[in-house]
Amino acid sequence: MSTKSKGFSRRRILGGSAVAFAAGTLGIPFVRTARAQVATFKAGVITSLSGENILGGNLTKRGYDLWAEAINAKGGVEVASQRFKVDMFDGDDQSNPATGADAAERLIVQNEVDVLFGPYTSGSTIAVQPICQKYQVPMISGSAESPNVWKAKPEFNFGIIPAVDTTAGKSLAVLAKLSNPTAKTIAVIGVNEPFSKETGEGFRDGAKEAGLEVVAYELVPASGDLTPVISKIAALNPDIVAVGGHEEPLINVVKTSKSLNFRPKALIMHYGVTDPAFAQALAADADGTSGVSVWLPSVQYKDDLFGTAREFAEMAQKKSGHEPDYTEAACAASGLVFGDAVKRLGKKPALTREDRVALKDAIAATDIQTFYGPIKFEKEGNHYHDNVQPVPVLIQIQGGKTVAVGPKEAAAADLTYPLPAWK
Amino acid sequence: MDLFLQTLLNGLLIGGVIATFTIGFQLAFGVLHVIDFAVGGWVVLGGYLGYYMAAGLGVDGFLAIPIAFVLFGAIGYLIGPILYNVRNSRTARPELMALALTFGLFTLLRGGMLTAWGFNTHSVPTALSGESLAVGPLTVPLVRVAAAVFAVAIAGGLFVFLYRTRYGLAIRATAESRQNAALMGVNIRRLSANVYGLYAGITAMAGVLMGAIFSVNPEVGLRYTLFAFFVAVLAGLGSVGGALVAALLLGVIEAFVATYVGSSYSLLAIFATLFLVLLVSPRGILRHGL
Repeated sequence: MSTKSKGFSRRRILGGSAVAFAAGTLGIPFVRTARAQVATFKAGVITSLSGENILGGNLTKRGYDLWAEAINAKGGVEVASQRFKVDMFDGDDQSNPATGADAAERLIVQNEVDVLFGPYTSGSTIAVQPICQKYQVPMISGSAESPNVWKAKPEFNFGIIPAVDTTAGKSLAVLAKLSNPTAKTIAVIGVNEPFSKETGEGFRDGAKEAGLEVVAYELVPASGDLTPVISKIAALNPDIVAVGGHEEPLINVVKTSKSLNFRPKALIMHYGVTDPAFAQALAADADGTSGVSVWLPSVQYKDDLFGTAREFAEMAQKKSGHEPDYTEAACAASGLVFGDAVKRLGKKPALTREDRVALKDAIAATDIQTFYGPIKFEKEGNHYHDNVQPVPVLIQIQGGKTVAVGPKEAAAADLTYPLPAWK
Repeated sequence: MDLFLQTLLNGLLIGGVIATFTIGFQLAFGVLHVIDFAVGGWVVLGGYLGYYMAAGLGVDGFLAIPIAFVLFGAIGYLIGPILYNVRNSRTARPELMALALTFGLFTLLRGGMLTAWGFNTHSVPTALSGESLAVGPLTVPLVRVAAAVFAVAIAGGLFVFLYRTRYGLAIRATAESRQNAALMGVNIRRLSANVYGLYAGITAMAGVLMGAIFSVNPEVGLRYTLFAFFVAVLAGLGSVGGALVAALLLGVIEAFVATYVGSSYSLLAIFATLFLVLLVSPRGILRHGL
């Protein structure tokens, strides 16, 4: 029997190393050169792919990715009669704003992205804005709704969804107007984190303008039990209860209210109600809950890439199995803004720092019609760089489905008011 | 006065709910001397079992409670020896290694659930979900009553088991001194596996209740881990009876602060209580372990 090893000998290792070295010095640069000839736009998506906002994070990612797939299927973004595909890079903020800022920096420095698509939460968006400013990379945010994002006057960030202070109050006014007998009192609950708190403030301020008496305004911790606050509000017996929060607290508000046998005449929430997961988690108990939406598949808008809003919804449904909500739609529309701006700019990838500054100016000058609706960014004031064009629609869950109930010109069904007792 | 009584009731019921997943945690700490960060993971797994049994088989979510005990008890029994080995290894700072292991287990459970079942929030439907009983001016949510009764029953059952049976005596002896218990013929390794299995089973049962009262998604586990830890510190690490008392105390404080001061101050009040108790009585409110 031979005593020689059939595995690795020193000669083999040295020989292998020489081949690897040669490949490293000669081959890899060759590969790089070959890749560099196929220029692509690089887009970074920062969102919550883990942590407590993972549901919304994935929803935003789905929206951004839908655009990338749709535009790549057409050959890519058009610049000077040429088409350039888009490469998407993901950064996970882990539902933590500081981590979001780190993820943005990594996308910019390591992946050398030309544009960023913004996080799911407003908190992360606010944290990422200085990074965009530092590296002069434009960001298009398809989800952020907190007015504080725009009050900071971010030079490089642009928002597709109108800030919540413009939508919550308007929707409440519509609800108050449609209520019969007319609602007189309201209690507002806001989860104590940026977007939810500001939604609560939007409801509170909107209530005053709508002539409703605010009998309670409660900020609750995201992880707290809601029984005490619902009991307190039940004792005040308001006509309307308005809630600012993300999915899980909204579900818990309904469950806790039912367990305490408290049913206000109307229950209005903001984001989350339009997500089909809300109705699925609560089954029949979701019925009657109202919400605010700036987009529905039934709106009469269209564009060249996605077609009509209904066609977009069908495409998204086919992809994920869920009907898209307004955030997913706004994220997909974010890509349309980038495509339009870079086309007008006429700069091919990869964009230089000067190109990105010019891209930012081109985005600021956006004035387009999309399946999501009109997109045009404010140039001054408290909603600087936010698209406040879309008109909010009051929706209500009826028979497990989201239907538009107001204002009258957008309504597909009558508002159920007052809500019947719990079954 | 009605609101006061309702707040007191709410507080006691919240306490009962918190106690359900803290009792097993205390037992595991008492015997294994490990702060198990995976406690929230077991809670969420129990919740998912309840949801999938109700959604898939169309049965009442509460039917998952005994199955959760058997299934996750068995899994816990298999994990127990690993934890025991790490905790009693000769490496430097085995207590920190064990802590890291449970943290890793929690991360693994969370990531696994996320991959397997996605990120949507679900609810465990039961016959008691949303049902309430009107007692005079008070509204009594029945599913929370069920959780509080469960907590008292488990605490009572464990008390009888620990103080009235020979095996309970062995557990208490091990909690007090592993060496002495081993010298008296107790198989510490098997006992640790049994205790971890018992803990995982009890905690997963509590998870079914949590899924019925609140909702379940892979991310809520951390919250339960933190609350279990708060209650355990307040109770005195390892004290099963203290866990019940501490959970009720925290529940009542949370309810009264939320109702009469403001919900945004409830966590502040809980931390302040924890701080004060640690300052005055570092061994916890009942000043003893198992």
